[in-house]
Amino acid sequence: MEGLLRTEKLSKGSILHGISFEMKQGEMLGIMGPSGSGKSTLLYLAAGMDQPSGGKVWLGETEITGLKEDEKSRLRLHRMGFVFQQMNMMANLNILDNILLPALQANRGRHGRSRAELTAAARTLMRKLSIAGLEERRITQVSGGQLQRACICRSMMNAPEILFADEPTGALNKSAAAEVMVELEKLNREGTAVLLVTHDAGVVCHCDRLLYLLDGQICGELNLGRPSSGEEKQRRDKVDRWLKAVGW
Amino acid sequence: MVKKLIWNDIGQNKLSSAAAVFFMAVSAMLLSLSVLLSSGLLGAIDGLMERSKVPDYMQMHAGDLELSALSAFAKQHGEIREWQVCGFLNLDNSRITLGGRSLADSTQDNGLCIQGEAFDHLLDTENQKPEVRPGQVYVPVCYRMRYQLAVGDSMEIGEKRLAIAGFLRDAQMNSMMASSKRFLVHEDDYAAFQAEENMQEEYLIEFLLQDGTDTGLLESTYTAAGLPANGPVITRPLIRMMNALSDGTMIFEIFLAGIVVLLISMLCIRFLLLLQMERDRKEVGMLKALGIGKREIRQLYLAKYILFSGCGALAGLFAAFLLKAPLAGQLQELYGVMDGGAVPAVMAVLAVLIVEGILLYTVRCALRKTERLTVLEALYATQEKRTVRGQYVLIGFVAAACTLLVLVPQNLYTTMSDPAFVTYMGIGDSEIRMDVRQSENIDAVTEQIAEALAQDARVKQYAVLRTRACPVLLADGEVTRLTVETGDHSVFPVSCLAGALPQTEGEIALSAMNAEELGVTVGDTLRLPEDGKETVYTVCGIYSDITNGGRTAKACSVGEDLPARWSVVYVSLENAVEKEAWLEQYRQMGADAIDLADYVKDTYGQTLTQLQLAAKVAAVTAALVIAVVVMLFMRLLVEKERYTISLHKALGFTGTDLQKSWFVRGAVPVFAGICAGLVCGNLFGESLCGAVLQSFGAGGFRFIVAWKELLAKIPVVLAGPAILAILIGIAGIRRIRAYECCMGKE
Repeated sequence: MEGLLRTEKLSKGSILHGISFEMKQGEMLGIMGPSGSGKSTLLYLAAGMDQPSGGKVWLGETEITGLKEDEKSRLRLHRMGFVFQQMNMMANLNILDNILLPALQANRGRHGRSRAELTAAARTLMRKLSIAGLEERRITQVSGGQLQRACICRSMMNAPEILFADEPTGALNKSAAAEVMVELEKLNREGTAVLLVTHDAGVVCHCDRLLYLLDGQICGELNLGRPSSGEEKQRRDKVDRWLKAVGW
Repeated sequence: MVKKLIWNDIGQNKLSSAAAVFFMAVSAMLLSLSVLLSSGLLGAIDGLMERSKVPDYMQMHAGDLELSALSAFAKQHGEIREWQVCGFLNLDNSRITLGGRSLADSTQDNGLCIQGEAFDHLLDTENQKPEVRPGQVYVPVCYRMRYQLAVGDSMEIGEKRLAIAGFLRDAQMNSMMASSKRFLVHEDDYAAFQAEENMQEEYLIEFLLQDGTDTGLLESTYTAAGLPANGPVITRPLIRMMNALSDGTMIFEIFLAGIVVLLISMLCIRFLLLLQMERDRKEVGMLKALGIGKREIRQLYLAKYILFSGCGALAGLFAAFLLKAPLAGQLQELYGVMDGGAVPAVMAVLAVLIVEGILLYTVRCALRKTERLTVLEALYATQEKRTVRGQYVLIGFVAAACTLLVLVPQNLYTTMSDPAFVTYMGIGDSEIRMDVRQSENIDAVTEQIAEALAQDARVKQYAVLRTRACPVLLADGEVTRLTVETGDHSVFPVSCLAGALPQTEGEIALSAMNAEELGVTVGDTLRLPEDGKETVYTVCGIYSDITNGGRTAKACSVGEDLPARWSVVYVSLENAVEKEAWLEQYRQMGADAIDLADYVKDTYGQTLTQLQLAAKVAAVTAALVIAVVVMLFMRLLVEKERYTISLHKALGFTGTDLQKSWFVRGAVPVFAGICAGLVCGNLFGESLCGAVLQSFGAGGFRFIVAWKELLAKIPVVLAGPAILAILIGIAGIRRIRAYECCMGKE
């Protein structure tokens, strides 16, 4: 696999200290660590939402840390997708409009796709993530799991190269969390790289590779390889043993 | 999508959206109304002055008149385009009845005249030169409302009766500030009155000048030529100023109210927006995280406010056009239809665009605050406490501004209706004023009156002031004439802009206009040639004056050997003196004696009526604004503190306990604001009104505050609506449930 995301000696004040790692195209990388270890900060820096105090980040050939705010915005719009723990959505819009929002922005102008085309694409995605029929609902009229799947739809509308997920199952119950992870894994199989931050050992079992962060530094790495059916228990045991070894 | 977001947002925030539109509409309405009225008024005044061909320079005179001398003067001076002499038969007010009502109490010089031949035309209400038939009279239009007259009513002068055939617009004397009023009659009637009543004719010597002619210079050459000049001088700018001053005060007040409301609107809209941004902070953060640029986010909010602004502008403009008709009623009566064409409407639209532009710029500036937030700050930063504190400060500020809106027009009205207001116009602060003008022997009549006053036990104080035209040597060696009033000026002083009135020989005070023209200020000197030698006078003060063309001077004594052009005697009487009988006695001696209280009522009556109207508009606006702002912000505060209120309820506080505490929170800034407004209104309001009046030539202005009226008005207009608004604003506290706090803060 070719390199997609690369950080070099990335620092942020007293939170992160010289983090360097690389992600391959289509890889699903999980970052684990206790609260306050700097994992969310690392995700925001990698996504260009925050400015590091030192070090660099590349997405492909583009050095994100050297871009202006507007350039970073365009990069996030066209090449990145986001899923948050709090499922931030516009309260004034229904589910379908929320999903369409970044797509409409990205397709402005004469050469962009029409609203009808985008709506059709959104409906396809919604069907794929099993939330068809919720298009006209308000965000307060659906369950947490449904809302998070809607967020995943929204993040996928512009076909990003990489999807950043910050505790995507943090606000969900066990079954809803499992459903969301299945969907993320499916998207990853279709070629979208996923950088996932969590402190749920069950969630990281879906990843190809894990990094363990402690006090702003990478303290461990585990290659799990691509998940395949029937291996869930072995993968979970492997992760548990590794976590124990790194001091979880 | 943007449309949907805006509509949904408006639907969810109906109150703050309505408030934003309200502020935009009221600001637009007040400022466009003042623009509509002022451009209309100035256009109408100029239109009337143009149509009636107002003279550029007019000298009033009583006594002998040599037309040949005037003709020679006109020929010698190329700057004089045309000249004419109009007769004026000054009537005894006590002998005039209009529609059955006597004019005995009028302080105006009412007289008969015929139509000016070449210029200075008196126009009817259709702005046409009326054809007056024998037995008919055209009455000044300002008397139509005052005496409720109609065509067909009669005017009686002594035993004679004339039928009122119509009403006159007299560009020169329309304003009640002009001390004379002309009644237009047929030439035959004019001649008959003159012969039968044995009345002495007075003259208006009128000149039309070439553009750019210096009327000050013409005045001095005219006086130096020894031409007839024992009456006041009036110039075209003075006529325009008197018209604008008497009718423009109301417009100025509306403009002032508009500026205050615009400031309030800027603050409130900014605050509403910041509150919304605070509420939408996470959504903004999410949009930023998704890659939607700050420009697009800004456009989202700006588009909503552009929509509000459009609605506010249309509503404001519509309301301004609706209100224009009743407010412009008197102006149209006096000056005719405000036919500035599309200009006033275009100006009003322009004013609305400027107002809305300022408000949108405020929105744009407030949005910058959000633009500066990083994605993470927007997503995860805690709410600012400052916005809550700011909200109380804003309530206090709005209460102060609304107090200002009520206080300034009220104080202006009280001040202008006080007899002492005349001191800003160049008239001494006395009880009685007697003018000896337009008489053959001014010095003798004045002397006789002075002697009578000295022996009159009913007189408490008096001062005799004689006005002479004295030569003054200019720096370039030229000699000009200065109209100097001599006598004791300390008894009934006028208000000074700078320095003081003369108290000793060798001191001279100048009117503001004269000081400016001569280029001197307090402490400078003037050289006055007297008896073949030069006497140096030190300028001791500068005072405001709109009498006698605004070009006067005051000294203790100067040019005593020169004949007086006119005399003014100021008197104050002992208590319990029958004033009317006393005045009549002195009128018999040849003085034009008036009670200054009546003079003020007559002169500023129409201005005061307008001021009262404007004060009412300002008070209603203030009441509305304070009610809307306080209610809105209290509701927003309750909403913002929903979690805390719920927590208090969960801990056992009752709805009533919390409402009491919140009532105090709202009432404290309101009352603090009202107190601050009272202090600022008296300080800055006075300076502001003073600055405006000074631009009209009436300086050194001080407010006369009617505290009783003010303290009675404020609870009704401000405190009442504010308290009601607080109660409505905090009513929502009862609907907040104790369990809400258990569901999380955000």
